[in-house]
Amino acid sequence: MILQCRGLVRSYGPTQALRGVAMAVDEGEILAVTGPSGCGKSTLLHCLAGITRPDAGEVIYRDQRVDLLSEAGRARLRRTEFGVLFQFGQLVAELTAAENVALPLLLAGTGRREARTAALSWLDRLGVADLAEKRPGEVSGGQQQRVALGRALVTEPRVLYADEPTGALDTLAGEQVLGHMVRLAREQRTTVVLVTHDARVAAYADRELALRDGVADPTGLGLNASAGRHAGSAR
Amino acid sequence: MSPLTLVRLALAGSRTDTLRVVLTAASAAVATPLLLLSAAVIAIPGFGQGHRGSDSWAEQYRLQVLVEPGLRPGVVITLVLMTIPVLALAAQCGRLGAPARDRRLAAIRLAGATPGQAVRLAAAETGLASALGSAAGLAGYLILRRALGRPGADGRLLLPTDVLPATWALVAICAGLPLLATAVAMLLLRRVAFTPYGVVRRSRNRPPGPYAGILIVIGAVAMAVLQPGFRWAERIKWSPPGWVLPAILFVGTLCAALGVVLGTGWISYTAGRILRRYGRRPAALLAGSRLMADPWSGSRTFAVLLICVLFGAGAAGARSWFATDFAVREEAGRWQAAQAGQPYYADDNSFYFTTLDLINGAVAFGVALAAAGMLVAVVEGIVSRRRAYSSLVATGVPRGVLARSIVLQAVAPVVPAVLVAAAVGVTLIHAIAGGSVRSANYESSSCTSADCTTEVVVHVPSFVRQIPVPLADLALLGGLAVAAALAVVGVGLLFLRPATAVEELRTT
Amino acid sequence: MSTSHVLLGLLASGPRHGYDLKRAHDERLPRARPLAFGQVYTTLGRLERDGLVRAAAQERAGGPDRTAYEITQPGRAELVAWLGAVEPPAPYVTSTLLAKVVVALMVADRAHAREYLIAQRAAHTARLRELTARKTDPGAALGAVIAADFAIAHLDADLRWLQTTLDRVGATNGEQ
Repeated sequence: MILQCRGLVRSYGPTQALRGVAMAVDEGEILAVTGPSGCGKSTLLHCLAGITRPDAGEVIYRDQRVDLLSEAGRARLRRTEFGVLFQFGQLVAELTAAENVALPLLLAGTGRREARTAALSWLDRLGVADLAEKRPGEVSGGQQQRVALGRALVTEPRVLYADEPTGALDTLAGEQVLGHMVRLAREQRTTVVLVTHDARVAAYADRELALRDGVADPTGLGLNASAGRHAGSAR
Repeated sequence: MSPLTLVRLALAGSRTDTLRVVLTAASAAVATPLLLLSAAVIAIPGFGQGHRGSDSWAEQYRLQVLVEPGLRPGVVITLVLMTIPVLALAAQCGRLGAPARDRRLAAIRLAGATPGQAVRLAAAETGLASALGSAAGLAGYLILRRALGRPGADGRLLLPTDVLPATWALVAICAGLPLLATAVAMLLLRRVAFTPYGVVRRSRNRPPGPYAGILIVIGAVAMAVLQPGFRWAERIKWSPPGWVLPAILFVGTLCAALGVVLGTGWISYTAGRILRRYGRRPAALLAGSRLMADPWSGSRTFAVLLICVLFGAGAAGARSWFATDFAVREEAGRWQAAQAGQPYYADDNSFYFTTLDLINGAVAFGVALAAAGMLVAVVEGIVSRRRAYSSLVATGVPRGVLARSIVLQAVAPVVPAVLVAAAVGVTLIHAIAGGSVRSANYESSSCTSADCTTEVVVHVPSFVRQIPVPLADLALLGGLAVAAALAVVGVGLLFLRPATAVEELRTT
Repeated sequence: MSTSHVLLGLLASGPRHGYDLKRAHDERLPRARPLAFGQVYTTLGRLERDGLVRAAAQERAGGPDRTAYEITQPGRAELVAWLGAVEPPAPYVTSTLLAKVVVALMVADRAHAREYLIAQRAAHTARLRELTARKTDPGAALGAVIAADFAIAHLDADLRWLQTTLDRVGATNGEQ
């Protein structure tokens, strides 16, 4: 088990996004976190990736309490162990594709030439080597997401967090991004936490964790717990 | 992160970012010579040694305020004060294109940069730009010094080009200004939290209260107790140390200035509420809502203008005080001369008025810079809201309504704020002066014959005159300030049409 | 589904014999029910009777009798007419799934309905995953990918409809 959490609670003002979520992922597993909008799936991903800190509960990555790390410590973890892929907006508009992919390495202190070589090889593996000198605004949404995927994977992270990575793409472009993501994750034995509301996207995963109203929903349909207890006693 | 990467990432930006860097450098380039000049004034031998008679005068200068050592601290203070609008302009320019920069920093944070790295990137930009500007300013100062170094036709110098500032002052100014700018940039960024998931500006949500008025009252009271206080000290035979008077003047002015600037938040908010409540036209409602949503933007934008109005009004008040004072003295002098049967010779008071003219010049300089800063703010406001504006235009809101709302948004707070600043400025001087001027009654003896055998003793009574409120000067000043604000908004509106082209809806 | 029209479509590119037709059919439409040999020959017989195809050549290469068929001019016309006819746009309203869910929501015993719905969703999800895996296999033929897309789209529609229905009738959280 590479990553797990217990009793996660996170509120935004009066609204509770997470109300005690527990989950665990094995090394190399691809887990889909599904649920309707507002169920807390993005918040869960943010807590797991160390982007936000939970109000209560613990996030454990390889015996390390992510929720107890400082802001800088979590940034370092994100840079070395984790990769993130969002719906859009994670690329720096002013930098070229190659520079964007090289960015995490540069921030970590890798030499410019070495970082560039690594970036170009990742762009090549993702089939967008010819876009290396283009800026994000000059390429299509699907190509942008492939560049973003390259940036998420360039540090060879152990866990990749993807939050609706194809949410802004048409079916075929999304399929390409997901295909590359799953293939590369399997090659590198990278664990993937894939947040989506789309059953077709979730079908790329090995396993599904359904959320509803900030708690795990084992029925996947939001059939509530009280109905479950009722069913148990009726049997 | 290597220094090369730092520079590359800090300077990666669009045209707006380039403009911000250039303006930051330019304001450092203007502020540096002003500070160097004041350091040179300090370096003139005999600085600040009070009135020691004309022996210690530096006769090589054309300006009396430089000639007399006792007057030079005032020159230095004026020069240093003149850098305030320059630096405020720099701060205003720092907001130019800031949303795009903040987005970029958030994206870099998402790529794994630590909070410290993100702040360092933003600070590196300001630091580099102002260091370059400072270097250019130093070069400009040295060139200017050489160009003006030759005495004029009267064999005198316009500026203290014959002395160099002390080495430590040179270094402190040229290195300190960029460091200060960087520190301020980092301080301003503390409000912006670059969460990896976007930019969160921690904003103050509480509507501003009229508490800033307390500061203005404190300032006015401090000034008002000056004269009675010193009279009281005289009566109990206690002479306060020399720093007390300047300290009280400084603190009182600072309190009042702060009060005026901070009070603008409340003025903006209240103006917005009134516009919302009584406005019937869309433009008034739009302007009112925006004023209430961000009441502090006005005080940020108009701060320098208001401080200039404050000083200008103070200068106008001082002018009318001095004029009254001289008039009372002249009255007494004429009375005495008439009694003694001698001709009256008027004093030459032109020095004071020349100095006040210099202050007016500094105020005009400040107003010009404040106008430049406001222009930047207005254009920035239009450009940063271009999506909202262009979608309004696309749904059929006439540009005229938007233009009127922008004008209202600027003018509604600026008119009352200018009135307050002018009133406070003139009140401060009146508080010091005590409202009226009274000449002392004294006995004067004079000889009426050449050998001075007959001595005439004249009892000169006390003459009193009220100091008039310089309404004409104040109206001119306030009108100038409001006109500057209107002109700036008018120029800024030129950017409304290109910014609301429907194509702008596509920009992100 | 009209098997005869699919066979006409397969013959449009050139003559084929019965076994060949069955293989091509199963390959192009892998999600459809596999075609029985008997069905191929009866359909071909009917098409020949109607003059839409005709026997082109007979081949005996060390095996059973193999008759190759080719499409006729009326056959092409029929194919064009079929392709031009719009399908009624509600082919699944008589689905068993719909009937079952409606009945499940009507019956008093909620526990059973709940169990059925969970199991149905799990089955749909598992099938989706299976089809996705088949589709993303680098060796997958275009026909297989297209057929998988078709099935995925319909399963996804089923799942979304199921969820919407449950939310609409208030069977999920909040209602006792």
